[in-house]
Amino acid sequence: MFYAQLAVNGLVQGLVVGLGALALTLVFGIARFPNAATGDTMTFGAYTALTVHKASGSLALGSIAAVGGAAVLALVAYLTVFKRLAGRSVVSLLVASIGIGFMIRAGLGVAFGHQQQVFNVPLSRPIRIAGLAINPLDLQLATVAVVALAAVFAILYLTPIGRQMRAVADNRDLARVSGIRPERVMTAMWLIAGGVSAVGGMMLGIKTIVSPEVGWEMLLPIFAATILGGIGSPVGAVVAGLVLGVAQEVSTPFVGFTYKIALSFVVLLAVLLVRPRGLFGRIEGVR
Amino acid sequence: MKTTRREFLGSVAAGAALVAAPSIVRAQGADAIRIGALCPVTGVGGPYGSGMQKMIVAAAEAVNAAGGAGGRKIEIVAEDTQTNPQAAVLAAKKLIEVNKVQAILGTWSSGVSLAVIPLTNDAGIPLMHCSGAPALSVPPANAKGLGFRFQATNDRFGRAFAEICEKEGFKRPATMAFNNASGIGNTEGFTKAWKAKGGEVVESVVYEPNQASYRSELMKVLAANPDVIVTGSYIADTTIILREWFQTGQPVKWIIPGWAANPQLVEALGAEVTEGIISVDSVSNEGAEAFKAYDAAYQKAMGQAGTNNVYAAMTWDMMTVLALAIEAAGTSDMAAVVAKLREVGNPDGKQVSSFAEGKEALKAGKINYEGASSVLDFDQHGDVTPDFGAYFIEGGKLNRRYVVKI
Repeated sequence: MFYAQLAVNGLVQGLVVGLGALALTLVFGIARFPNAATGDTMTFGAYTALTVHKASGSLALGSIAAVGGAAVLALVAYLTVFKRLAGRSVVSLLVASIGIGFMIRAGLGVAFGHQQQVFNVPLSRPIRIAGLAINPLDLQLATVAVVALAAVFAILYLTPIGRQMRAVADNRDLARVSGIRPERVMTAMWLIAGGVSAVGGMMLGIKTIVSPEVGWEMLLPIFAATILGGIGSPVGAVVAGLVLGVAQEVSTPFVGFTYKIALSFVVLLAVLLVRPRGLFGRIEGVR
Repeated sequence: MKTTRREFLGSVAAGAALVAAPSIVRAQGADAIRIGALCPVTGVGGPYGSGMQKMIVAAAEAVNAAGGAGGRKIEIVAEDTQTNPQAAVLAAKKLIEVNKVQAILGTWSSGVSLAVIPLTNDAGIPLMHCSGAPALSVPPANAKGLGFRFQATNDRFGRAFAEICEKEGFKRPATMAFNNASGIGNTEGFTKAWKAKGGEVVESVVYEPNQASYRSELMKVLAANPDVIVTGSYIADTTIILREWFQTGQPVKWIIPGWAANPQLVEALGAEVTEGIISVDSVSNEGAEAFKAYDAAYQKAMGQAGTNNVYAAMTWDMMTVLALAIEAAGTSDMAAVVAKLREVGNPDGKQVSSFAEGKEALKAGKINYEGASSVLDFDQHGDVTPDFGAYFIEGGKLNRRYVVKI
């Protein structure tokens, strides 16, 4: 029961990481570079939600604004920077994304200051489900995350644009000769990646605090989950985020709290030794 | 508009003259001793920084009004650390290399002081700071003995926590520390002092920064059924931990350092969650004559009581005690001045509470400056031992109930 409680504690953290990893892996799979601005897009989402929540008092409105705002931000970053650099080496794109991350962070710092801010959401006592203490707010956040994930997977697997996105991710050249327009696919992908980041950022902001650095500081676990899940695999990213979050918490009775982060990387290493392509990754031929 | 070469040269010459002008003006006061006031005017330290800087200037004015130190006037060059180590290093470089200051006063936050002290060490000039990290007491940071701390060390904060724990009758304390030198310094200082009193610590947890949740950490601490949790923490993690603790519904008291349990924390969490938290911060030497002088200067400069800014009292003392040491050394050669700092600050001399008084008394013999921030006795590490205030958060307000001496 004790371990089950630890696992539950890890789930919410895992969902935040999983959402970030999903955004990262979408970009990785389709635009083929690691987008280091993912964390800062999350922060942008958190600040948008916070501002709208303060002004309107509605968390639902805040989350809609956050998803919309971050999606537009991601698209603008694509149109102004990444599109121009398409075809360059991965390193140029990575460095450009680090630069965009810096700009977002600095902009938020100037606009909102570096002092921490919090979502004023009512505090509630946990409810007991089968002996497990579960916080109603966590339950709500988890629901939001699951809905967001369901929406993304529905787009990916049930719509024509999703099919095209997966086709581009599988084989860009083949997709192009089949008449898929990369421009549309890219636009859709960046909008989705931005929106998903915003949900993760908002959850993180509600759970913790909002400051210009919160998203940036999540980047390392997000990268770990992306790699563990298999680069480019949306399902893998989410599952890996949850695995890492739960593994961290369940390990704490054995390794203590200071080493739980290291432990998640041990899990990562162990999986990659046995399965170098990650949990859900596919073996790709050299292009 | 076209610029001819002649116009261009003319403007360059004018610009050069402008740049050179301050040094021409300064040349008249060539014998002034230049001191850097490097305070957190912006950033997290912003609420304190501008008062700190103004008190360095005010104390220097008091020194100059009394005829200067060692026969020379003091000139203050002010810079902002932005409470950011990178910005602080740039500013310190400028103060040392361009302004040729003889000392840097007023750095705040351990990260900033740890970043600046290698520069002052290389320049062979003292750094007087208000930071808590124990690492600032010993080599490598303080290898040359040029660092002087006017704030309590984290270890002393821990001792104050233990005093308050005893006074409040707590029997089963647990600790939670942010995993860095300052956080662990607080709780280890507490544990050491508490065990020396014969008490036991029922549980202790060191946690990592930037976690989305601290529920597992809290589960472990709360499972030991503590009656109080003592933290070495910062405001961000404290906010998350207290919120999650409140949601568990398990009653427990908290003792938290003043930089984490402040009005901002109350604002973030509301009065209900923070009710009864004991916030511990160092307090000024409020009964002292020197404090009255500082208080008057602070009211004049900031329009507020001097008790609002413990760090400004520290910077007031920095300037005063440095000027006294210069006076005692009779030179602005910093090696000689630093050697005199303990002599003018520590006991076994006539007690004085201002520069003017000290300057007079130095003619007769040894002095002991009793400061506005503390009695200002430096130990072998250049650290002082201020008093501590126990502030109880009641109805969303921090009320000081008593002062603890360690």
